[in-house]
Amino acid sequence: MRVTEHPILGTYQKGRKVQFTFDGKSMEGYEGEPIAAALRAAGVTTHRYTTKKHEPRGIFCAIGRCTDCVMIVDGRPNIRTCITPLREGMRIQTQYGIEAKEI
Amino acid sequence: MVRYDLIIVGAGPAGLSAAIIAAKQGVRTAVFDENERPGGQLFKQIHKFFGSREHRAKVRGFRIGEQLLEEARECGVEVHLNATVMGLYDKKEVLVMADGETHHFKADAIILATGARENFIPFAGWTLPGVMGAGAAQTMVNLHGVQPGSRVLMVGTGNVGLVVSYQLMQAGIQVEALIDAAPRVGGYGVHAAKLARLGVPFYLSHTIVKAEGTDKVTGAVIAQVDEKFQPIPGTEKHFDVDTICMAVGLSPMSELPAMAGCQMEDKGGAVPKVDACGETSIPGIFAAGDAAGIEEASSAMITGQIAGIAAARRLGYVDEEMFEAETDRLRASLQKLHEGMFSPQNRGRNDFTETDEGYPISQSLLHKGYMEDQEITRYPGAVSGKSGVHPVIECSQNIPCDPCQDACKFGCIRVGDEITRLPCVNEEAKCTGCGLCVASCSGQAIFLVDETYDEEHAAVTLPYEFLPYPQAGDKGVALGRDGREVCEAEVVSLKINKAMDQTALLTIKVPREMAMTARFFKKKEA
Repeated sequence: MRVTEHPILGTYQKGRKVQFTFDGKSMEGYEGEPIAAALRAAGVTTHRYTTKKHEPRGIFCAIGRCTDCVMIVDGRPNIRTCITPLREGMRIQTQYGIEAKEI
Repeated sequence: MVRYDLIIVGAGPAGLSAAIIAAKQGVRTAVFDENERPGGQLFKQIHKFFGSREHRAKVRGFRIGEQLLEEARECGVEVHLNATVMGLYDKKEVLVMADGETHHFKADAIILATGARENFIPFAGWTLPGVMGAGAAQTMVNLHGVQPGSRVLMVGTGNVGLVVSYQLMQAGIQVEALIDAAPRVGGYGVHAAKLARLGVPFYLSHTIVKAEGTDKVTGAVIAQVDEKFQPIPGTEKHFDVDTICMAVGLSPMSELPAMAGCQMEDKGGAVPKVDACGETSIPGIFAAGDAAGIEEASSAMITGQIAGIAAARRLGYVDEEMFEAETDRLRASLQKLHEGMFSPQNRGRNDFTETDEGYPISQSLLHKGYMEDQEITRYPGAVSGKSGVHPVIECSQNIPCDPCQDACKFGCIRVGDEITRLPCVNEEAKCTGCGLCVASCSGQAIFLVDETYDEEHAAVTLPYEFLPYPQAGDKGVALGRDGREVCEAEVVSLKINKAMDQTALLTIKVPREMAMTARFFKKKEA
């Protein structure tokens, strides 16, 4: 859920609303916010599945250090979604190992 | 290859402070930071900082970030963003990745202000989505305005765990409990007390056993630990949470000095060995802030300045006399933050039984997060049984800060020059009830109490940082320090102005005998 009004910060400065897709499904977020923030606000928690054990992973450090939140963005794998800004029309896919499709 | 006099890695509090002081001396300075925005972790710090005026006390962290950026702009510091420093080589050559390409830079001095990363502890289910760093949750809500979850278990009661828990609550997230394997709350008691009076329970000597769920966290199990920190079977407790945050310490990010060949040592994580100015074993390479040893942002700004002025001297921009004067001033300022029971040399110690002045420390505060009613008047800031309005300062530990004595223009409050001393209330001075002390206390530990408000009631003014604001006439219940409902209460007023910087002053009236008990307000649901 998004925080709309905050006792200290007031309102959040956000970019314009943009459309993107997550595994083919159309979603909305704000331009410039991290992909991970837009996904979390849209209810997505699993960003990828590990190669060997097929375990889910999501946001863990949120500052680009741990690489747990990597996904396939516009066809490129291993994109750190917590620090990569959302742009209009981005194609975001769950990452399986380092692939887009379920192995 | 572009050359600078000074290259600083990291545009957080230490790096920016170093850049500003060096650039003011004419040093041609460039700062590289891998993030899209400068400020390091300052912009997610929405609480008021501790320290004294010279440390920018009672200013919220993100505003300090804005101030530093403005100063850096004014003195011509070049800040390169989205620029990851990948390598630090012989002869101070710096390799930077930006826009998918590598670039070479060179400088005569380098300051490494790369900050820290969060630590984690492994437990069953710790890799599930929904388990994250406390700092990660803080980033999500405060920077991006997105709730990481709706119900949180916080693991760790150091200042990060306490402060982030409170900030999650401010963003409308329920913190179900804080746990810590240690037997006592690790961070400032005043931060714990803010949570306790909201009704958040503390489980000390408890560890997390597992995160439940298959695709994401759906619950958490904790258990009490024995003296060897092993879970005691049969003591398990379950929480319905969707998020588990870990606030179990930070580690310095010291890859670059190690790569450059600086001598390293272990100070809660590998850090380069540095002298009193932050200079490493390689002349001209300095480290500052958390990268040189974990502390907090206020001291990082000072160690950054010390490294900045030392680099300027090494480059010939500052003479010996000025260098001595500046470093003396800065070290004195740093020393003020390094006094008291929470100082770096006391890290890991939680066996203090009394304050520097000899007042007993509340065991209830250390074990449950709040002081018992009868303990409050032990301390020199808390008097009761007076007529008229007066401050009650529930400050019981030697924490480095003194905004309360600056806030009162009428001489009611005195801390003295040693800012870790407990504030004393001067009973002779006349309190006007302005409430500026209440808003100035970074620990939200000051209340105004008027035990003679009317025939039957006392008025209690408390700091209030939640939405929606209660309005005059609203009826509800007063909560005690332990978060339990203690009596009926009615809102007398809610005041907020610029000087209070988003800390509203909520005045409630309660039965007179509750003057020293009622410490929070909950509106009755319509």
